[in-house]
Amino acid sequence: MDEIRFTLNGKEVSYAGSATDRLLDVLRNDYRCTSVKCGCKEGECGACSVLIDGVLYNSCCVAMGAINGASVVTMEGFRETKRFEALEKAFGEVSAVQCGFCIPGMVLAAEALLSKNPHPTEDEIREGLSGNLCRCTGYNAIVNAVNNAAKEGNGLW
Amino acid sequence: MVNGYVAASLREALEIRASHDVVPYAGGTDLMVENRQGVEYLFLNKVPELRTITADDQYVRIGAAVTFTEAIASPDVPQLMKEAVSRIAAPAIRNAGTFGGNLGNGSAKADSVLIEFVADAKLRLVSKKGERIVDVDKFYLGRKKLDLGSDELIAEVLLPKQGLEQYSYEKVGGRNALAISRVSFAGVFAAKDGKITNVAAAFGAVADTVLRYRDIEAMLIGKTVDEAKALKADYLKAYAERMVLTRGRVSAEYRKSVCMNLLDGFLTKFGI
Amino acid sequence: MEKISESVVKKDHAPKVSGRSVYVADYPSEGVLCGKLLHAKVARAKVLKVEVPELPEGYFYVDAKDVPGDNNVNIVLDDTPVYCRETVEYIGEPIAMLCGPDEKVVERLRDECKVEYEELEPVLDLRAATEKFFDYNFGHGDVDKAFAEADKVYDEEFETGYQEQAYLETQGMMAEPEESGRMFVHGSAQCAYYIHGAVARALGCGPGGVHILQDVTGGGFGGKEAFPSILGCQVAVAAHKCKKPVRCVFDRREDMEYTSKRHPSLCRYKVAVKDGKVTAMDIDVKFNAGAYSTLSAVVLQRGIIASPGIYNIPNVRVHGWAVKTNTSPCGAYRGFGAPQTFFAVEMMMDHIARDLGVDSLAFKEKHLVKQGDSTSTCGKYHFPVPIPAMIEEIDKACDYRKKRAEYAKPQVGRYRRGIGMSMYFHGAGFTGSGERDLIKAVAKLRKYKDGTVEVLASNGEIGQGVRTTFPKIVAHELNLPLEKVYYNHPDTARVPDSGPTVASRSLMVVGELLRRAAIKLRSEWIDGEEQEVEEHFKEPDFLIPFYIDKFEGDAYPTYAWSVNAIELEIDTYTGIAKVLGAYGSFDVGTPIDYNVVLGQMEGGFLQGIGYASIEKMDYDAKGRIRNNSFSDYLIPTTKDVPNLKCMLHVEKYPDGPYGAKGAGELPLVGAPGAYLEAVEQALGGVTLNHAPFTAEDTLAVIAKEGI
Repeated sequence: MDEIRFTLNGKEVSYAGSATDRLLDVLRNDYRCTSVKCGCKEGECGACSVLIDGVLYNSCCVAMGAINGASVVTMEGFRETKRFEALEKAFGEVSAVQCGFCIPGMVLAAEALLSKNPHPTEDEIREGLSGNLCRCTGYNAIVNAVNNAAKEGNGLW
Repeated sequence: MVNGYVAASLREALEIRASHDVVPYAGGTDLMVENRQGVEYLFLNKVPELRTITADDQYVRIGAAVTFTEAIASPDVPQLMKEAVSRIAAPAIRNAGTFGGNLGNGSAKADSVLIEFVADAKLRLVSKKGERIVDVDKFYLGRKKLDLGSDELIAEVLLPKQGLEQYSYEKVGGRNALAISRVSFAGVFAAKDGKITNVAAAFGAVADTVLRYRDIEAMLIGKTVDEAKALKADYLKAYAERMVLTRGRVSAEYRKSVCMNLLDGFLTKFGI
Repeated sequence: MEKISESVVKKDHAPKVSGRSVYVADYPSEGVLCGKLLHAKVARAKVLKVEVPELPEGYFYVDAKDVPGDNNVNIVLDDTPVYCRETVEYIGEPIAMLCGPDEKVVERLRDECKVEYEELEPVLDLRAATEKFFDYNFGHGDVDKAFAEADKVYDEEFETGYQEQAYLETQGMMAEPEESGRMFVHGSAQCAYYIHGAVARALGCGPGGVHILQDVTGGGFGGKEAFPSILGCQVAVAAHKCKKPVRCVFDRREDMEYTSKRHPSLCRYKVAVKDGKVTAMDIDVKFNAGAYSTLSAVVLQRGIIASPGIYNIPNVRVHGWAVKTNTSPCGAYRGFGAPQTFFAVEMMMDHIARDLGVDSLAFKEKHLVKQGDSTSTCGKYHFPVPIPAMIEEIDKACDYRKKRAEYAKPQVGRYRRGIGMSMYFHGAGFTGSGERDLIKAVAKLRKYKDGTVEVLASNGEIGQGVRTTFPKIVAHELNLPLEKVYYNHPDTARVPDSGPTVASRSLMVVGELLRRAAIKLRSEWIDGEEQEVEEHFKEPDFLIPFYIDKFEGDAYPTYAWSVNAIELEIDTYTGIAKVLGAYGSFDVGTPIDYNVVLGQMEGGFLQGIGYASIEKMDYDAKGRIRNNSFSDYLIPTTKDVPNLKCMLHVEKYPDGPYGAKGAGELPLVGAPGAYLEAVEQALGGVTLNHAPFTAEDTLAVIAKEGI
């Protein structure tokens, strides 16, 4: 393979590094997508969550070779959308953001959930966010925020 | 510098597998944690032949690069398998993790593999030279030891279509999500004309491979439920004696008692 | 709800939710050297030699010989080295830092360093450890007489394990030499001025030679109180040697294994009971400090002061000691010594009640302190104690008394239920006279010509909301819209020392200074002019002076109070406990922002439930911590508890802003007591003495007791 071509936040890019490199590292170092956080590099915290072809992944557990031809969306891209606005507002209204480190990943997990299931129950929200650790909030506010976003943003998903 | 190989078809993948020293990469969730240096990956996540779930009269055939999320959404995959893989880690891992990867990693903690053991699943292995079908318990030779040639790839899992309707499944992890199994248990029960025809029990995450003892199961085969009840104590005793658990951070004693409790609960559930 | 309590969208919400906030790892790497620590691999040894591989151009090896100033980091004492001295005292102790432009090369060079050790016998067992860092005794009444006259004497030991803060952002600091020669250190931290003092001393440059900026910080919970001072010194020394910016960000395993965590404890309680009441407690509290003393003195002080619980015990004798072991130094973690002793005393009271055949709640109620009573240190509870009302709130929320009675009946079947309750306080602010004698907080307001007002203080936003609540107070007093008042992350070059971000003090102490400053500014306000006002800490005049040598007087001006109840169901096949409900009533005074306070309560409560149940960390026979990743050290996920029910009960504190008291630490403290009481009940009234209490522990009890 000569180069890895993929779409990053809507723009076509090509990567000439190693196919074994971690998507997480490449996004942060080569494309300066620093919203993608490194919490563990073991797929155990969700801070590095991204969307690949609309599906939620831990970018620490994805090798560059696997995204050839795919479309990758990070918070840098997602924050330009109406859906983000609805989530941003809902998170803000219940103060669901404390230290903020888990939040970009958490919001993308919420997007992945709502795009499949626009009207989730509380249990479904908890399931959808279950790979994203948060140590600050106890999750109540985050779960409530996603629930509110689903209601308020009716029609966006 | 770009290394590694992206295969667009199974044929291409097998060519590369035969001619290069590569590590097959399906979902990446285990490989990227291992983070082996100096290896080249053969990316299989876009190989169409490995990405389908089909069903024939006998089997549900799950492609090696099918993800757990895809299996959960499939109408063909038996409920028992769905229940097990829906307890794996969390959505992002289930979106990436595959059946082939779960097998290829060679761990006895693999939640889909437990079901394959209890269900007498077979695997279709392919190489440039041809293909062969192996029983899953013959495929697992030991911890990280698989009956897989350096030119072979796992193509699909052949899961029996019938006979998995009555089951017990229990995953015991440290918490309710993002949990690696400390003990996993699957039991499948079937009876016909008042006689037990199947009482398979498999235990994951407790030894080098998934444990299943067909000779102990045989004690109850062909018996009525009442006859089985009378044999229950001996049956449990046989398991207790046979099962030797590997040591781990969570004690073997704990995991052993859990295994015995779950096995007991499985029999109780079906009236034994 | 009062106006000030009404929630606003937090000031740092937009940058954080959109991923625009810059944490220390997010600064571009161009021109910045990556630093990686060479950690000791043995628990105790003389370091005879370090064989360093040949370093490529632009790569550096930094160790104690490169420290231009003092190789001792000032925390409470000075025993923690910047880089190790002749010996290493725990697995993970930093020997040196490898620095260079390429992270992978730096890691390789670090791994190629060969350290030659002369191994010494380590002390690992807390029970066997005898080298005391700190040893305190205090008490009141005649304990010996009370024991002599007792109807019955109880003697139990309680044990708690490590707890890892598990902030989502690992430790990370960065040092940049400035053209002026000044060293700029910034990163993930709670206490900019602590780092300032430590780095100035390590560099030997005087306070003007450095300045410290707190970057956006991904959680602290105490874990970034003292540790960043050490890491800050290490990167500053490295940058000084390399003459380039150096950044060191820990990976998760490094962070979990080698950074400070909650002290494991052994508490022995001897209790005298006469006529159905506790007449005396003789308490021994032993904390595992680890290899260096760091914050153990103050953690232990808070722990032992809380050790008789919220009960009025006429005769008390307390001995507290923090001992050295060859393990990672323990430090601050939300609750700061009190979760250990409150767990012990709550279980002790529960066990005595059961033995006496009375209900645990009724027994505790009989002993509750009330306003005007004497504290364990012969100070006074100056303000109302709202615990009885809070018990009723909890009872109403979860039908506590009814369920407690119901679950006490014999249970059969695979699943068994239990419910338990704990009650406790958290002393608001520093222990004793630290605020007056050591911190002497100063806070300022600067008004600009355009009428905007900047808060100048050193308290770091770590998620608890000070970037929002401080401006809320000021805007409220100045009658300004909130947009006109702002609070940036503190840089010691720009802000006065208003003290560290610890002890649930920021809002109560510094918030009050800001309120007073705002009143002053209001009275002096001149449109169109730049103005600055300053306020200094003043000790409330009602306090009974505290003497640390005798542990006598008011250890705290006031207390935050709480009652928790936890209801759970145990699977007797697997030992797994499912939390069915967790209820907390919390009195932190007036909430300065309802959502912010509620978020603190919920987050802290869940950390406490984790501490009680699944968060298990231990070291092996060699002193190595094995639970060093998120797959081995488990913290709760969204699926481990239902929505927590947290309620605020407001008992105002006149010397806090609008009646606010300390909040952040309180919610973690009581969960283990409530949780274990519930487990005991579900298992048919067994006696349990340690936390965390895991599924494995539960099955062991079931096997032993034949349940």
